[in-house]
Amino acid sequence: MRKAQLKIQQMAFMLMAVTLFFVLVGIFILAFHLSSLKSSATEIEEKNALLLVTKIANSPEFSCGEAFGGEKIDCIDADKVMMLKQNIDSYERASSNPEETFWGVGTNIEIRKIYPKTGVEEICGLGNYPNCNVIKIGSGEMPAEYSNFALLCRKDSYEGKIYDKCELAKIMISYKDWGAE
Amino acid sequence: MDLEKFKGKRAQEEMIGFALIIILVAVILLVFLGISLKSPQKENVESYEVGSFVQAFLQYTTDCRDSNDLEYLSIKDLIFYCNKGEKCSDNKDTCEILNSTLTGITEESWKIEGDRPVKGYELNITRDAEEILLIKEGNATKNYKSSMQDFSKSGNSFKIFFTAYY
Repeated sequence: MRKAQLKIQQMAFMLMAVTLFFVLVGIFILAFHLSSLKSSATEIEEKNALLLVTKIANSPEFSCGEAFGGEKIDCIDADKVMMLKQNIDSYERASSNPEETFWGVGTNIEIRKIYPKTGVEEICGLGNYPNCNVIKIGSGEMPAEYSNFALLCRKDSYEGKIYDKCELAKIMISYKDWGAE
Repeated sequence: MDLEKFKGKRAQEEMIGFALIIILVAVILLVFLGISLKSPQKENVESYEVGSFVQAFLQYTTDCRDSNDLEYLSIKDLIFYCNKGEKCSDNKDTCEILNSTLTGITEESWKIEGDRPVKGYELNITRDAEEILLIKEGNATKNYKSSMQDFSKSGNSFKIFFTAYY
């Protein structure tokens, strides 16, 4: 009788030890998963930025449409973008989250003229446009970004005649880095 | 005496079994940790960048006005004008303007000096497999992204190849 009790006790201790061990392993995995949530969120934002940068130049808010002689691919209408910049508040009011812009959480858009080469960085406003080289949409910083080449077109004049002036630019889309918080 | 020896041996076997389970679980955990920590690397040059670059520079407005002084020519128009041997309205050579503009565009767009991710690039324009223009800078490495655009005019087939090495 005593020997059997001892055996049961031994088995109980063993079962407790094994259970405790697996519980500890489970807690470790759970803790690891929870800590990687931020990096997963950043990865989602990153994918969103990557997808956005490949198609944003052809979206209705940016594209040249047929304003510059036929359909152009990866062409941004600079005049249209300047108007969008002025009215960005109404776009950002579309979401209840103050951090969320029309294009996603922490998404800022920047268009930089590359060629013809211009000297000092000058952010475009209604006062200095088109003699500037950076158009910023959204007031936030650009901590991490994806970029793509695009054509930046506007109407210009030469000896009183209006013509289409297209320059080479880079469009940059920032995304929120949740790990940096 | 034999019974005690047998009991001791069994206890040892149980301990070894338990230790084996712990080692097995630890190995599985390490593998899991390794896979989780291996985050995907961001590419130095994305395919869409190379494709968009070619699309964008073809429509770039150059400083050359056509011979009738009516409009500024795009790079695409300039390729045709250069092919025909025509001049700009200010009598400048269209092939020279094409070469200098494309050299400037590629230099500003794909900087290769220092620790930049892009190591080199090559831009080649051909007419019916005959080379019209070649701009080559930096080193041709094994990692590269390419884009090709073709169009035809007046019975000639033009092809534009751009490769960025990283």
